Amino acid sequence: MLMRRLRYWTESARRSESLREEMELHLAERAAELEANGMTAENAQAEARRRFGNVELKREDSREIWMTRFLSELGQDVRYGLRAMAGNKAFSALAVLLLALGIGANTAIYSFMESILLRSLPVGDPESLVVLNWHSRPPQEGNKEWVHVMHGIQGHFWPGDKGALVSGIFPYPALETLRPFTQEENPVFSTLFGYFNGLHRTLAVRGQATSASAEYVTGDYFRGLEVSAAAGRLISAEDDRPGATAVAVISFATSRNRFGGPSNAIGQPILVDNIPFTVIGVTPPEFFGVDPAAAPDLYLPLRANLLTDGPEAARMYSDGNFYWIEMMGRLRPGVSMAQAQAALAPRFHQWVAATAKTDGERAKLPALILNPGAEGLGSLRRQYSKPLYVLLAMVGLILALACANIANLLLARAAARRREMAVRLSLGAGRFRLVRQLLTESVMLASLGGALGVLFAMWGMRTLTLLLSNGQENFTLHAELNWKVLGVTAALSVICGLLFGLAPAIQSTRPDVMPTLKDGRGGGPRRRAQHVLVVAQIAISFVIMVAAGLFVRTLNRLHSVQLGYARENILLFTLNARQAGHRDPEMTTFYANLRKRLESIPGVNSATLSQSSIISAGSAGGAYRGTMKIGAVTIAGAGVMAAGPRFLTTMRIPILAGREINERDQASSPPVAVISERLARTYFGNENPMGRRITFVDDKRDLEIVGVSANVRYGGLKGEGSLMTVFTAASQFPPDQVTYALLVAGDPLNYVRSVQEIVREADSRIPVTKVATQAAEIDRTISREITFSKLCTGFAVLALLIACVGLYGTMSYNVARQIGEIGTRMALGAQRGAVVWMVLRRVLLLAAAGLAISVPVALSASRLVKSFLFETQPDDPRTLAIAGAVLLSAAILAGYAPARRASRIDPLAALRHE
Amino acid sequence: MGRKAKKNDSLPGSLDMLILRTLSLRDLHGYGIVQFIQQSSDNELLVEEGSLYPALQRLDLNGWINGAWGVTSNNRRARIYRITAAGRKQLADETRKYAKLTLAIARVMGTE
Repeated sequence: MLMRRLRYWTESARRSESLREEMELHLAERAAELEANGMTAENAQAEARRRFGNVELKREDSREIWMTRFLSELGQDVRYGLRAMAGNKAFSALAVLLLALGIGANTAIYSFMESILLRSLPVGDPESLVVLNWHSRPPQEGNKEWVHVMHGIQGHFWPGDKGALVSGIFPYPALETLRPFTQEENPVFSTLFGYFNGLHRTLAVRGQATSASAEYVTGDYFRGLEVSAAAGRLISAEDDRPGATAVAVISFATSRNRFGGPSNAIGQPILVDNIPFTVIGVTPPEFFGVDPAAAPDLYLPLRANLLTDGPEAARMYSDGNFYWIEMMGRLRPGVSMAQAQAALAPRFHQWVAATAKTDGERAKLPALILNPGAEGLGSLRRQYSKPLYVLLAMVGLILALACANIANLLLARAAARRREMAVRLSLGAGRFRLVRQLLTESVMLASLGGALGVLFAMWGMRTLTLLLSNGQENFTLHAELNWKVLGVTAALSVICGLLFGLAPAIQSTRPDVMPTLKDGRGGGPRRRAQHVLVVAQIAISFVIMVAAGLFVRTLNRLHSVQLGYARENILLFTLNARQAGHRDPEMTTFYANLRKRLESIPGVNSATLSQSSIISAGSAGGAYRGTMKIGAVTIAGAGVMAAGPRFLTTMRIPILAGREINERDQASSPPVAVISERLARTYFGNENPMGRRITFVDDKRDLEIVGVSANVRYGGLKGEGSLMTVFTAASQFPPDQVTYALLVAGDPLNYVRSVQEIVREADSRIPVTKVATQAAEIDRTISREITFSKLCTGFAVLALLIACVGLYGTMSYNVARQIGEIGTRMALGAQRGAVVWMVLRRVLLLAAAGLAISVPVALSASRLVKSFLFETQPDDPRTLAIAGAVLLSAAILAGYAPARRASRIDPLAALRHE
Repeated sequence: MGRKAKKNDSLPGSLDMLILRTLSLRDLHGYGIVQFIQQSSDNELLVEEGSLYPALQRLDLNGWINGAWGVTSNNRRARIYRITAAGRKQLADETRKYAKLTLAIARVMGTE
């Protein structure tokens, strides 16, 4: 019976086909016989059909017979399932809630993975796009000196395999060298186009200035990407010539925010860094350039940088050792990426070899490699793919935990229904039919959980976006619930339902009917299964707790890093006067005057300015990056910070000797420097550094040391920071862009309004950007660690809760089952304490078994997250001990209630019950 | 089970019985069953031939007959049906009921 039914609904398609064949044979045989009796072939076929009746209808009838059976049974199961769920509301609600949390968390994380790792660029035929990269041995191999054909850069590089250096930026002549590969004699590309990230520019529309991200693109860019304009036209080859009319393309969002719609923007004048441009077109709404990590507001022709960055930018086009432009190509039909690489690599090698000036440079020439470009540049993938895999593993474990828990609850519930099942089996119900009915119930639970989980996921995605973006100005990572994600969620729900439903279903329909009918109690195997599930839950939650512990400890370590400067009560914001048309020396005066006005705001104790915030000093590009010497000794590993008056006072950095930089340090006065204590100790020992000199070799300037400050963590919190700092005067090393810092009373964000007013009064063309408190600015650099520790703490609490519910349920059930035994023991004189211990001993045994399994698992799994940890070993014994202690106490707490109940059993009642 | 009335049957449900009876004598494919019923009734019982197939599905689902691909007497690939033990039991049941029913009708009609 069982196999027959199974065949009926799993092979319905094959059945339908075989039915068709049978019917055709029938018609053919009838026609053949009629023909043999003297009919014409044509008449015979018609007569055969007439006698047969409506072929399609008969097929429908046949199909209906096996389908209605299946559907009516399914209907029965669903109705029965609903009744069963309604009959045990507490259980159903708990199960649905657990699943909703598990499935929701998985959906949320998966939607992020989908958006980062799996989505293609919204351009024509993304599959034929390739990104040009190169890799070489690192420039600072062996010694500290930079030896590489790449003498100057504007852009990024990142570590590749085996310590290699990988990058996507090239000198402009390289683009010229490779361009012939789009022509007829070398046809591997249909187009080859270049672009570079122009970072933040000041965009003024009708006198309103804001900060906008710009992308500079070659004339083939839009044609190569096969993108067409939402309005107007896009940049073409004619626009990308020296001396061409200054034109700009804006993004759809910018057109809406700044012009009220794409069509209104066309032909409008705008100012980019105070240079007039005309808007000629608007990109389509879904287009975000080639890097999912950025969404440019503004696209300018490549050579427009001669206007915005000044004529000195011209050298970028001829310098073979200055790396800045990124490239993408579109493969011609039929050309594979490997073929294209084989064609391009030798040509690039030949070119790049000619740019090497020394043997050292020749020893580590960059080698060209092509990468798939369908998903755009990989910066987001590099940044987020590993964290997301870790998170996905954690939520996967949570879901497994939820499934184990529900399976456990179902097993306990199966005991209650065992009599029912036994009765149905003995009345002749098929076992498969019963299993199917039970599975329908669990899949229904899971589907409800999945539906609720989607709601939970929507909330989770918002929270996660908030956590991950953590104050980033234009965070472009937008996860969404599309059909692909929802499909995965639906599949996950069904799989969960089958997973947690199958074992209990098979268990409870075991055909050993008679003993059950007789005494109505469950036997040994189920208890064993329950114990296995409890141990598994404890093991899983321990792994999650260890992970959470490691991340929390990492965050603590980061927060306890000695900054050496004030974290609280400081407001930071950034201005770029150069982009509004200011030039030195007027610009320095402008910045200095503004500082004085800011200092006069009531509640502001002191105001200062510097090239950047201290925390981002390492990556923001210093005032000076060349070689520094004290006498003949080269200073290694010191950071330079151009700072205005009262910098040390505002940042509350103690002055150990001499003075800080003040208003008397002018461009015309002798250059001065303040050095940190560590620097003084390292290079002057016990000598007095005051009055000694530091030489900035590349600038050919000598700075007199006028003060010594306490040590400051220059740059990021993690290893990249340095305690050796040289403070120079911002007036003597003027930066284009400055970050102001105000030391205030009360909440720094209360002063934002006054700041904006003062800046507008000073020059309305300058937008106030990167407004943040010092604390937020610091936390921004460790947003991943903060996200991880918050999320994982949440996961760990959830896991612990689920495991405890499981433990509590199992122990309660066991106590209920053992009422008779416990009653007998107590009647024979067992003390209450002994009974409590009897139950708790089992709890501890289960917990110990779980721990024994998971400690080695946690130890090996934590090694995978080593790169996420800071000053914390993956096998940190304290974390392991705390996680173990928390888990054991929680287990005892969960086991105590049933144990107490067991000890309160009235022996007389229990024996009577038996 | 079958919700639609069988159109050409003079007695409801009789087609199932006729098929079981036929298959109790020998294993046959669909066309063979129709042929057998028509010939052995001297062409009195003209089944709408297509109705045979839903009936075969129904009997198969109930486990009374088994179908398997085989070869007919004139060497064509066909699905050959075979009655099962449960089918023989069912046939015996139906034969008994049928005998009772026809006897009762005959009594009423006064033809006994």
